[in-house]
Amino acid sequence: MEQRLANTWRMPLNDNKFIETALLSDLRVDGRRPSDYRKLTIKLAKQDGSAEVHLGQTHVITFVTAQLVRPYRDRPNEGSLSIFTEFSLMADPSFEPGRPTDAAVELGRVVDRGLRESRAIDTESLCVLSGKLVWAIRVDIHILDNAGNLVDAANIAALVSLLTFRRPECSLTGEDGQDVVVHPPEERDPIPLIIHHLPIAVTFGFFSNENLLVIDPTHHEECVMTGRMTATLNSNGDVCAIQKPGGESVSQSVIMHCLKLAHVKATDITTKIKDAVEIHNNERMLRKIKRHSSSAAVDVCGATAGFGGKQNPLDGDDLECRATPSGQQHSKDGASKNFTGGPSSWYDTS
Amino acid sequence: METKSSSSSTNLVDQSVCPGDVILDLSNMTNQTIKLGGGLRQDCDAISVMKAGRLRFSKPNKYWVENSQKRYVPHAEDSVLGIVVDSRSDNFLVDIKGPALAFLPVLAFEGGTRRNIPRFEIGTLIYARVVKANPGMNPELACTDASGKAAEFGALKDGYMFECTTGLSRMLLSSPTCPVLDALGKKLSFEIAVGLNGRVWVSAASPQTTIVVANAIMNSETLSGAQQRIMVEKLLERIH
Repeated sequence: MEQRLANTWRMPLNDNKFIETALLSDLRVDGRRPSDYRKLTIKLAKQDGSAEVHLGQTHVITFVTAQLVRPYRDRPNEGSLSIFTEFSLMADPSFEPGRPTDAAVELGRVVDRGLRESRAIDTESLCVLSGKLVWAIRVDIHILDNAGNLVDAANIAALVSLLTFRRPECSLTGEDGQDVVVHPPEERDPIPLIIHHLPIAVTFGFFSNENLLVIDPTHHEECVMTGRMTATLNSNGDVCAIQKPGGESVSQSVIMHCLKLAHVKATDITTKIKDAVEIHNNERMLRKIKRHSSSAAVDVCGATAGFGGKQNPLDGDDLECRATPSGQQHSKDGASKNFTGGPSSWYDTS
Repeated sequence: METKSSSSSTNLVDQSVCPGDVILDLSNMTNQTIKLGGGLRQDCDAISVMKAGRLRFSKPNKYWVENSQKRYVPHAEDSVLGIVVDSRSDNFLVDIKGPALAFLPVLAFEGGTRRNIPRFEIGTLIYARVVKANPGMNPELACTDASGKAAEFGALKDGYMFECTTGLSRMLLSSPTCPVLDALGKKLSFEIAVGLNGRVWVSAASPQTTIVVANAIMNSETLSGAQQRIMVEKLLERIH
């Protein structure tokens, strides 16, 4: 029993009191105002369909994978989307191995509901062979560090990874057109999912004093607050889902106010997501372009610009370049921007 | 832990050391006493390192390993900030971020008798001193100094407590005064209590000051002295 007591994270009463008194004068312990979001950083790996999101100290990684399965009987033309959550034991002292906690289940459900019930992802386009084969998309959310507001971070990470995910292209062959061929990525370019809109979850915290309201609560605020609400909206202001798990009752006017705030935040976050994905897609394109060895020489050593069509000491730069970590890649990519939109024969088929 | 030895020089002082490194060989040292602090142990004639960190030496004969971690390993005579978890008939159970809960005997207060036992609500923040920290036992705290005086120890009212690494709290307690505290103290008035277990409590008249001080301290961990002063100046500009 004592060991268990020692392993939980706890907050002194002083902090509880301080967080509320500071909020009365519109201050939050991390220096934000009540309607400020924490700093959002989105990192994308080179590999498609994985994303890493930092929301302040909160850290979430997601992976998207796809599998060909038999569709549900009642929906022969639709693929499926499923969300799985995994809470790393290092993320928070309260996370225990074994069965998922209520929080883990709720997190998965809220993200799932926002994405699925708003029909953000076109599941019909995932159908390969009606009634026989469809793509099942699986999103794995890994919580690596919990510093509050896991729902928003997980939702953003899931969206970004779905946006960057590409599934292999399939075609039907055979006499009756019933044989499915899955083309490896080298043969045919994998295709992205069709995503109609981006439902963004924005979480609010309510306190025992009715007028107090914070957006994007931190871990400390989550311990103090008496009610929470997650509103899922897209940048057009359509409400996709609202989750209000018990706690303090909230009046209608407050909810309307929250939705307005959430719309502003959702627009901001959408822009950030789109920017991150665009950068990723550009890098992806650049990686495929085969560079002329002569121009690579000009790029790498700018001083010898007149070097031109001479024999290039850096032959095979293309291959080396891929193996380097992304930090190094950037400088070269930046220099080779002028090659975007080259002839399609430049695409690397190796 | 004391050992007889002579010429106590080692070339690893102020260097990074790893578990297993041998810092001193006692076989060629005689007739000298050295004192070992945290992170070091004696294997026959060799003094070896038990945790990764920086080896420190204080004249004339003290050696210890300093590092920065999020979990605290209790050590006697450290002053720590603890949170009351439970109260028993003769002890308070206090969380000091260590591997086990610490005991704070109800009599370990100035003038403590069975008749006037202090009452602490669960969650009270306490500034205390580690009295005993033996391996395999729960550490023991006291709210008095070695001579039995209260000396600032006891429950802390109001204010805000935040957690940091043990390295940062040691930096805040170092002398001369750490630059961030020096710079803040020139412009703002606040009370601070630093526990070596990586907890810092700040209290000021207005919540704004408390928040500024707390954030300045949290930001200062990886900054040099000059950077800390610049950071504090920028923060203060923003609030005035």
